[in-house]
Amino acid sequence: MFRKALVLAGVGALALAATGCSSSKSASSGQADSGPVTLTYGIWDAKQKPAMQEIADAFHTAHPNITIDIQLTPNADYWTKLQTAAASGTAPDVFWMNTPRVGLYAGQHQLLSLSDKPGFDNSPFPKALNDSYTLDGKQYGMPKDFDTVGLWFNKKLFDAAGVKYPTAGWTWQDVISAAQKLNDPSKGVWGIASPDWTQENLFNTMLQAGGQAITPDHKKSGFDDPKSLAGLQYALDFITKYHVSPTAQQMTDTQPDQLFASGKVAMFADGDYDMPEYKAAAGLDADVAPLPAGPDGKKATVINGLANVIYAKTKHPQAAWEFVQYLGSKEANEIQAKTGTVIPAYNGLSATWVASTPQYHLQSFIDQLDVAVPYPVSKNTAAWTTPMQTTLDQIWGGKVDLTTGAKQIAAQMNAELAKE
Amino acid sequence: MPSRQRLWPIHVILAVGAAAMVAPFLWQLITSLQTTGETTSVPPHFLPSWQWSNYSQVFHDTKFAQQFLNSVSQTVIRVLAQVLFCSMAAYAFARLRFPGRNALFMLMLAVLMVPSQVYLLPQYQLVQNMGLLNTLAGVVLPGLFSAFGTFMLRQFFMSLPNEVEEAARLDGAGTFRIFWSVMLPLAKPGLISMGVLTVLWSWNDLLWPLVVVNDDSKMPLTVGLSTLQGEHLTEYPLLMAGSLLASLPMILVFLAAQRRITEGIALTGTK
Repeated sequence: MFRKALVLAGVGALALAATGCSSSKSASSGQADSGPVTLTYGIWDAKQKPAMQEIADAFHTAHPNITIDIQLTPNADYWTKLQTAAASGTAPDVFWMNTPRVGLYAGQHQLLSLSDKPGFDNSPFPKALNDSYTLDGKQYGMPKDFDTVGLWFNKKLFDAAGVKYPTAGWTWQDVISAAQKLNDPSKGVWGIASPDWTQENLFNTMLQAGGQAITPDHKKSGFDDPKSLAGLQYALDFITKYHVSPTAQQMTDTQPDQLFASGKVAMFADGDYDMPEYKAAAGLDADVAPLPAGPDGKKATVINGLANVIYAKTKHPQAAWEFVQYLGSKEANEIQAKTGTVIPAYNGLSATWVASTPQYHLQSFIDQLDVAVPYPVSKNTAAWTTPMQTTLDQIWGGKVDLTTGAKQIAAQMNAELAKE
Repeated sequence: MPSRQRLWPIHVILAVGAAAMVAPFLWQLITSLQTTGETTSVPPHFLPSWQWSNYSQVFHDTKFAQQFLNSVSQTVIRVLAQVLFCSMAAYAFARLRFPGRNALFMLMLAVLMVPSQVYLLPQYQLVQNMGLLNTLAGVVLPGLFSAFGTFMLRQFFMSLPNEVEEAARLDGAGTFRIFWSVMLPLAKPGLISMGVLTVLWSWNDLLWPLVVVNDDSKMPLTVGLSTLQGEHLTEYPLLMAGSLLASLPMILVFLAAQRRITEGIALTGTK
């Protein structure tokens, strides 16, 4: 779902730039608001609205003169609407932001820098998340939640094949041999699903192999690194060499998460955010382990997460800052944690989230924080993710060979990054 | 007249076509009565577990009744305005002679060639400058007139015989009188076809109201239902139950005005 949204971001980037909506500092930053104020708060996930409402109500109780008006726009249209409103000066006072787009919005001066605010403290949040929302030394987002990726597995299929469950000590080789034992074409069961999804699969395997999608300074592509190539090869081998994963075509017809939820796939690397789907799946007895280590014992997962940002043209910068500060407080994160939909960004609160769904070892997602690497972004992320995904689709579909395709991605990416 | 024997292949083809048309609605109905887990399972469940509660849940999760009313008012205003304004413009383009008529008509047709996403932003800023964001007026304003409706009615007016108009003029009727009392009644089939197409368009319109309206109590059904989509997990049964309820009025409109709709499409050669 996230991948589709990325494609749209490119269009958004164009419109935002075309309208020349730069400059403009907020009219009255620092001024205290007198009298009652209503802040609009833009969010995109219906599932999280109840938790956001609870936080807004708690904030209102503490600040009776500030009312929060939550505006829910579905994820698919959120960015179209935001880009139109931002270009016209009418975006919500506070809204959700994600890592691939923060560079664009901050670069166009649409967001207030939080680093300039008195009392801003980012120490309660994972460093990788703070880094993702920092541009030229200034942080623009108050981290809201985060997600990492784990190896989901179907306990019933493992038991039936007599294979031991994945553990934190697993390596690539363990996954390959388990997948070969679990694969049972006569029953329509695949050992693993290895799609060309980046956040859930390829970005992680590239890191585990010692490579990377982008250099830490966000200036060069890592796709031409032989180690990155080894990571891609490992993921592709499940389809072309071992024949234990559905093909790209089959995973286009039916999404791999649906195949896993239906018991057709024994293992699947997926984010914590698909947990509610697996929880709702009838007859699925699953659990989750940390991702396996690469050939040199390297463990890694990308970490991604949302943040709350303040619109640069808000009429109530002081009230908006007070609200964002509250959104980043322990209290607000506790409310998020209890609902179990997302992992709160606030360090040390994950236990509440883990306990919310005791049937899964959700701790696996938290334990990987030590090896978590920020989700690869640059100033204009969408400019290179769209062609990257197109080429990956061609490689997975067997139309382009891996080495050629990876070189092509690196060249396209470097050309786009040079423009930044 | 062909004999019954020779008709059966046609009946078979039509039956297959009808089944293909009805199948999506049937699937929608089945999905609306399932649990979320059942909807995404592979292989698909064909027999639902009859979760009638999905329907009451839609009313609980969205302001369905209020949004239904919003959809109705949005549609009624747009249809009445379009029928009036488009017929006036169409008559002028079809029958009146004035300098720059053809150039103006071409300019108007050019609007049809531009995808609506392109003028989303300027249109939004116009409505914003008028202070109409987040209001019903802001939602309906750009849809009070349409280039397509004008084009369609112009073609219709041009197909009407000149003699009627000349007779009226000889009897001393002025231009407006001719338009209002003579031509408009004659154009009734065209007006109805255009009205029906406008109803369908307005009822299904998503992008514009989504961008303009922020409060869920002011949203039409299309926007309200779209907020049921989650980022990672969508409860398809709820979404399908809501969509089915939302499309019922349109199905009724279609059944009642079936012939007009086909005529309308035949009249313009477009949808």
